[in-house]
Amino acid sequence: MEIYAPTGNTGEPQNSLASPIPVLNGLSLGILDNTKPNARVLLDRLADRLVERVGLTLALAETKNAALAAPNQVLESLSKEVQVVLTASAD
Amino acid sequence: MSLDMYEILEIPDSSERELQDLFHEKGWGDGLPMIAPTRDRVEEMLSASQDLDLDEVIASLPPRNGVATRRIIAVNAVMAGCRPEHFPVLVSAIRALSAPEMNLRGVNATTHCVAPLLIVHGKAARDGNYNSGLGAFGPGNLANATTGRAVRLTLLHVAGATPGIGDASTQGSPAKYSYCVAENLDSSPWGGYARTVGIDDESAVTVHCGEAPHNVHDMESSEPSAILDKVASAMTSWGQNNAPISQGEYFIALCPEHAATCAAHGWSRSDIASYLFNKAMVNVGDARKAFELRAWAPWQHALEDTDNMSMTEKAGNIRIFVTGGAGKHSCVIPSWGMTKSVTVPVLP
Repeated sequence: MEIYAPTGNTGEPQNSLASPIPVLNGLSLGILDNTKPNARVLLDRLADRLVERVGLTLALAETKNAALAAPNQVLESLSKEVQVVLTASAD
Repeated sequence: MSLDMYEILEIPDSSERELQDLFHEKGWGDGLPMIAPTRDRVEEMLSASQDLDLDEVIASLPPRNGVATRRIIAVNAVMAGCRPEHFPVLVSAIRALSAPEMNLRGVNATTHCVAPLLIVHGKAARDGNYNSGLGAFGPGNLANATTGRAVRLTLLHVAGATPGIGDASTQGSPAKYSYCVAENLDSSPWGGYARTVGIDDESAVTVHCGEAPHNVHDMESSEPSAILDKVASAMTSWGQNNAPISQGEYFIALCPEHAATCAAHGWSRSDIASYLFNKAMVNVGDARKAFELRAWAPWQHALEDTDNMSMTEKAGNIRIFVTGGAGKHSCVIPSWGMTKSVTVPVLP
């Protein structure tokens, strides 16, 4: 018996991951807080450690709604102002 | 037609039990037995679509970014137990799900218990024998049960909304098995719902990504306001996702008897929505205490703690349709919040 697989194909990815940054020293750091509870606590602490240990400079913190993609204005602002962004937190 | 773009498996003739085990091993399905999507069955499902491009991309479904062609939707329709006459409703619903305002990525991936509710309108509901009467939300009707299930199977298989992978719903929901109802046009005093959102076609389907129905029981009232005060009460519970999100829609599924009471007193759909907008109120200070995160309209942030405000930012977010049979139970179906319902004509 022949049957179809029900999954079908996947399309081209709409976005791809950025290339890893080999050296963080001296780069500017941004935060994109998805406003989930405790997200900012976690992101701020990570940022503090990175500033302290690696020499990053915290330059910008933005917020977004967790259920929606970040607005273009926020993404443009981050891409202009910083070289590394911390983001993503679940509940 | 290009079958090269589809994976076809040669499987040994086996018992029904072995077949279901194979589906399970492949990670397919909703946990219930499924029908094998053989070439013949899929061709039969597509029998009314032969003049169309069967490989046309109807939708690209996140989070997997799966390509939903007519053929792959038909495969899932066969597995769900659909009949060919239900296929245009299913294809149209999948088309609606891909509308940007639906925010399907969020709908599929959230920890909330949201499921897409299909409301079938007009000729397609009658011709497909969808149930708009007694027990409309189920169980017991093949069209409602299998079309709703085919949507879920498409989301599981094509969209990748697999629990724990592409679907983070904390508790899941029985509405995630199948969630499809028809509008009871014969008992609607105000005509069909689709026309209220600008769709004049004889057949349409609405997709509203919401919670399972919240019951509204009113056996005694002979005045619209008394019935609708209970609807407003169901709209103002703090636990629903619309509570901190002011753009959220509410679908109010009135039973024919509640609808008739409202209409007999001269109330229109917009009268009902306006009344509910003004009755489904909460105290602003209480809302601020209840929710640290609030997705409110800008003007709502300016309200004082002592003010009251509606559960949704405008009366237009309260949508009224009629379904069900004899009896005095209606229901409220709050949305997930960050999503908008979409109504489309039924096209093959």
